[in-house]
Amino acid sequence: MNVEIVCGPGNAAAQVMLGPGEDCTAEAGAMIAMSADMDVQTTTHKKGGGGLLRAAKRLLAGESFFLNHYTASSAGGHLWLATTLPGDMAAIDLGPESLIVQSGSFVACEPGVDIDMGWQGFKSFLSGESVFWLNMKGPGKVVLSSFGAIYPIDVDGEYIIDTGHIVAFNETLDFKISKAGKSWLSSILGGEGFVCKFHGQGTVWCQSHNATGFGRTLGPMLRPRS
Amino acid sequence: MNTEIVGGPAFAHIHVDLEPGESIIAESDSMASMSADLDMVAKFNGGFFKALFKKFLGGESMFVNVFTNNTKGVRRVTLVQATPGDIGSLELDGSSYCFQPGAYICSTPGVHLGVQWAGFRSLIAREGLFRLKVSGKGTVFFGAYGALKQKEIQGEYIVDTSHLVAYDPGIKLRIQLAGGIFSSLFGGEGLVTRLEGTGSVVIQTRSLSGLVGWLNPKLR
Repeated sequence: MNVEIVCGPGNAAAQVMLGPGEDCTAEAGAMIAMSADMDVQTTTHKKGGGGLLRAAKRLLAGESFFLNHYTASSAGGHLWLATTLPGDMAAIDLGPESLIVQSGSFVACEPGVDIDMGWQGFKSFLSGESVFWLNMKGPGKVVLSSFGAIYPIDVDGEYIIDTGHIVAFNETLDFKISKAGKSWLSSILGGEGFVCKFHGQGTVWCQSHNATGFGRTLGPMLRPRS
Repeated sequence: MNTEIVGGPAFAHIHVDLEPGESIIAESDSMASMSADLDMVAKFNGGFFKALFKKFLGGESMFVNVFTNNTKGVRRVTLVQATPGDIGSLELDGSSYCFQPGAYICSTPGVHLGVQWAGFRSLIAREGLFRLKVSGKGTVFFGAYGALKQKEIQGEYIVDTSHLVAYDPGIKLRIQLAGGIFSSLFGGEGLVTRLEGTGSVVIQTRSLSGLVGWLNPKLR
C-alpha cells in the first residue's frame, strides 16, 4: 500500500495505490473514488471477522461502527479517501509500536494495524479532545485527518500543545494537563487556560486549527434554530 | 527571530523561532503549541483602561500574551487565528497601519497597538465602530478568513463591505451603494466601501459574514 496526500492543507485527499490483492481498511464514508474492480467488504472489525465489542468501542471514540475493507484485483488498483470537513491529512508509517489517535481523526490503515479504543485517564476531560482515544498498533501505515493543517513536533523532553490541537502521538510520550507559562493566572487571563504538557521522546502530530475554535467564532453569528 | 507562515491560504499558521532573549506578543488564545521552557505572561493590552477600550470597542481581547525565550537555545512557538484562512505580515518602520477588528494575531515588541475611532460609516460597512492602529518599529502578523491580497491604490478604489482587512491610515473610507439603486438592490453587492487616498490596502477573498449569510437560511 502506497499513500500520497494531495491538495493539502485546505482540501486534502489520500491517494492509496494498492498492489495486486492488497487490502486497505477505511472508515465508513471515507471513499470518494476507486478502481471499478475493487472488492469491498464491510465488517465491524478485521476483514472477514466481526467483533461487536470492538465496533462499540470504536463508536465511543467517535469513529464509525462499520469499517470497509477494500481489496485490489489481480491488476492492483487505487482508492481516493477524504473527509467531510476541509482540512489536512497525514500518512504515518508505524513500526511494531502504538500510536494514540484523537477521536474522529482515523481515516484508513493497512490490514496489519490493530485498531482499539484507548483510555488516557481523567485528564482527557480537560484535554479538549474526546474522552476516548484510538490506540493503533502497528506494523503498517495509518492515514489520519484533521480540520487544520497537520504539523509534526519531535519531542525530546517537554513540549506544550494547546488543548484541542492534538491529532496523534507516539505511545512513548505521555501528557498531563498543565498551564502555559509559569503562572496559572497568566494562563487563564491570556486565554490559553489548560494546555497539554507532553514529556518523553517521540512525535506529536498537531493540527494548526481546530473545529471547536472555529465553531466558537462562527456560532454566535448563526441564527438560533427554531 | 525567524518566522515562517505555512499552511496558507486555507489553514495558515506561524512558526516563530525565538533566539535567546527575544520575545513576541500575541493575541489571547492564539498559541497552538510551544516549547515547554518558553515563558508566557499575560499582560493588559496596553494598560488597564486601554485594554478595556480595546476589548469592548475594538473587538480585540483584553489581554495579550508575551512569549519570552529565557533559555540558551532557539525555541519555537506556533501561533494561529481561530478561523481558517490566510495570514500576512507587515514590516513597520515608524509607519502605521489600520486593521479591522479581529485581524491582529501577533507582533514583535517594538510594535504599538492602539484603538482609533473609525466613525459611524465604518459601522454601516459592518467593519466596526473602532479600528486597530498598529505603529512603531517591527513586524506585525494579521489574518482573515479568506486568502489575502494586497493592492496599491491611488485615488479611489472600491471594496465590498466586510472584505477589507487592513489599510494605510491615510486612506479614508466612505460607504456608498455599489451602483445605482437598481443594481445595488438586485446586483447582490448592496453597500460597498469607497476608499480614497494613496497607499496599500489588504482585502480578503472570502468573508465570514458571507459564510454566515449563506449558512443561516439553511439552518432549520
